[in-house]
Amino acid sequence: MNTNLKISNVTKIYPGCVANDNVSLEFNSGKIYALLGENGAGKSTLVKILSGVIIPDEGKIYLNENNLKLNSPLDAKKNDIGMVFQHFNLFETLSVFENLIIDSDEQRESLREKIDTIMKKYNFSIDLDIPVLNLSAGQKQKVEIIRCLIRSPKVLIMDEPTSVLTEQETSELFLSLKKFSEEGILIIYITHKLKEVMQLCDEVAVMRKGKLISVSEIKNENIESLANKMVGQNLKTIKKKKAKTSSDKLIKITNLNFTSEDPFETNLMDINFSVNRGECLGIAGISGNGQSELFQVLSGEIISEKDSIEFNNNYIGDLSPQERREYLMAFSPEDRLEQAAIPQMKIFENVALNNFKSSNFFNNGLINENKIKEHSKKIISDFNVNTDNIELKSQFLSGGNLQKLIIGRELITSPDLLICFNPTWGLDVGAINYIHETLIKINEQNKSIILISTDTDELLKLSDKISVIHKGKLSKIMNAEEVTSEKLGILMGGAN
Amino acid sequence: MIKIVKRDQPSRAIFFFTPVLAIFLTLVAGGLIFFILGFKPFEALKFFFIVPIADKYGFSELLLKATPLCLIAIGLSFCFKSNNWNIGAEGQLTFGAIVSGGVALLFYEQEGFYILPLVILAGAIGGMLYASIPAILKTYFNTNEILVSLMLVYVSKLILDYLVVGPWSNPEGFNFPETRQFSDSAKLPLLFEGLRIHAGIFLALAAVVISWFVFYKTYLGFQMKVSGFSLKTARYAGYKGKKMIILVFLISGACAGLAGVGEITGPIGQLHREISPDYGFTAIIVAFLGRLHPVGIIFASLVVAITYLGAETAQIFMQIPKYTGQVFQGMILFFLLASDYLLFFKIKFIGSKK
Repeated sequence: MNTNLKISNVTKIYPGCVANDNVSLEFNSGKIYALLGENGAGKSTLVKILSGVIIPDEGKIYLNENNLKLNSPLDAKKNDIGMVFQHFNLFETLSVFENLIIDSDEQRESLREKIDTIMKKYNFSIDLDIPVLNLSAGQKQKVEIIRCLIRSPKVLIMDEPTSVLTEQETSELFLSLKKFSEEGILIIYITHKLKEVMQLCDEVAVMRKGKLISVSEIKNENIESLANKMVGQNLKTIKKKKAKTSSDKLIKITNLNFTSEDPFETNLMDINFSVNRGECLGIAGISGNGQSELFQVLSGEIISEKDSIEFNNNYIGDLSPQERREYLMAFSPEDRLEQAAIPQMKIFENVALNNFKSSNFFNNGLINENKIKEHSKKIISDFNVNTDNIELKSQFLSGGNLQKLIIGRELITSPDLLICFNPTWGLDVGAINYIHETLIKINEQNKSIILISTDTDELLKLSDKISVIHKGKLSKIMNAEEVTSEKLGILMGGAN
Repeated sequence: MIKIVKRDQPSRAIFFFTPVLAIFLTLVAGGLIFFILGFKPFEALKFFFIVPIADKYGFSELLLKATPLCLIAIGLSFCFKSNNWNIGAEGQLTFGAIVSGGVALLFYEQEGFYILPLVILAGAIGGMLYASIPAILKTYFNTNEILVSLMLVYVSKLILDYLVVGPWSNPEGFNFPETRQFSDSAKLPLLFEGLRIHAGIFLALAAVVISWFVFYKTYLGFQMKVSGFSLKTARYAGYKGKKMIILVFLISGACAGLAGVGEITGPIGQLHREISPDYGFTAIIVAFLGRLHPVGIIFASLVVAITYLGAETAQIFMQIPKYTGQVFQGMILFFLLASDYLLFFKIKFIGSKK
């Protein structure tokens, strides 16, 4: 039986932003469709409309010629539309089986049989009776998929499913998705990763700034053509020159451990590494493997043994972030809106968060506003932040501009070492390029970087040396030239 | 058709307008309640809000009641601005009063210029000591400061009870639950002959000026602002979080303690069972009605002080229980929280589409 899903003239307007501008699309079962676009292009809004989470201002959805009224996620389920979100909606402490039956009113026994059949059919092996928190990200995703399959959906929507998966888990997922498609389930795959689109999909719809830009068959496209459609401009590729080898150690971490009281944090075990001047050390890993804890230990938000961190021949393990800044370290955390900056405060106030003694922002406990403002203007012009009003609240800056402001704030004191955590997460390609160029420039000035990132391509592009963090342990440090993304994938999954 | 739309950003004008709107809605709702009870609404509101402050004496009473409210609310705003929820100002007031009363009783037969400063200082220290308990438990043992500070209120009231009926009760007092009268040197001077308003008002005004300066001009104020928005950011910036928690609790406790001093060394001049008609709790409403801004708090404390006076007048002239005052205080907070909705949403009137 064929499934036909039609989106007709859908518009959704938020204050100050048209998330979907008169989008019309048609899907047929038997094919895998990619919905491609940058963050903020409107693809998430569109699939949230399909799954009943958001109600569009205008437009209609048809499934096999029937006009669907999707006022809630339940309506979508009833109409055989299944969706797997980027962030899992699972109860960590309940068992897999309990999670699967939680929204079903069928008999437990018959459900169990049904689940067993599904697992056998698609070669999933998950213990149904262990709590979900013991599962890997890939397994959790399978649980979400099974939850959809129980209802034998006609349409399955996957929202950025690979962001938490290893290379190996990704290829397993792709096999399953192809199988579903062969069985007649219509698959819509949302992503901003071009490689995946080329690998998996049959047709691709590209969105940009809320508008549908093109619909085409994969065989007529290649990575460059898709990238240009997605970004709307021709991209220049940046490449890093190999760093001058120096053996001058800037920072050395010795036997660093961190044990958390919070069961949802990761313990760090026996971390050892060093970074030379002018070098970029990349730390890869799937998110949630201790990156955030490692960042905090390095920045001083978490204090450790004094001699576990040696920086510029000083032991600084027990110093606070502010004290470490005085030793010429700088930090750019992952969370721009909740940690690195305060959206409700003005730009110049956010600049004052990096309080460096010699910048004289605060004299004798008093605020020196003129000094801060002067400094802010310099950052804005030096780092291309697209505004000239430092009194603007920083919530009105785009993600890219905010990140430029943050990186600028950290770099304007010309630190010896910049530690950054997912610096380009969620940014548009223009801003990503700018940040990458900036980071390369720092290395060229013989300053060092520790780059913690979940984006393998970024790491391969910028790093001189790479290590992988898995469950709070670091792998051995490798030269970037010897590393491929496949090899990283294996290490990220925990194998040796 | 009416449609509710989210605002792009909270409006600054609305931010200061909603307290006024809340007061207006409280008046309307209050009038309605009076009407249901069988009174003429306008007359009742006149008794409640205008008669009490129509003469010099009434105005002095208004300032007398507004003084502790303003002082405590200023202290509380240090806590609230930095994400610390001190609900126990009433307890800090009581304990401050106990300590300063204790010092005043030590000197009950003596006169001297040095006594009053000692008494005032003792009150501030008492309040600080009492506020330091939830602060230290929060910083070192991760307890919830809301619960601890609140429960300590009842502890302090029981301590006061014990002292005024037991060891500190007036030997010549026929077993009334009160202490001796303080000597004149231990009392805050009255400002005008025949009126009860006393020098404590200057303490409140000083607190307003100092707090404004700290909030908007100092590094401490900046750190409080950052911590109030995001503790994660404060930690990232390297602010000493624990130190700040303790500091704001101490400031807040000192202010509440000083308010306690004002209550016992002002017109009354002794310790007794009920030194405060819940000023410490009402000041929470004052702090938020004043938007945690020192100037806003002055106005808010005056408005809320009227409800205390109005309740008394209404009891005398209309035979309504004086607890009506608390009803009005509750309504102000309720309407303030409700109209805060307008900060983030706006109401749009659209002609029906045909």
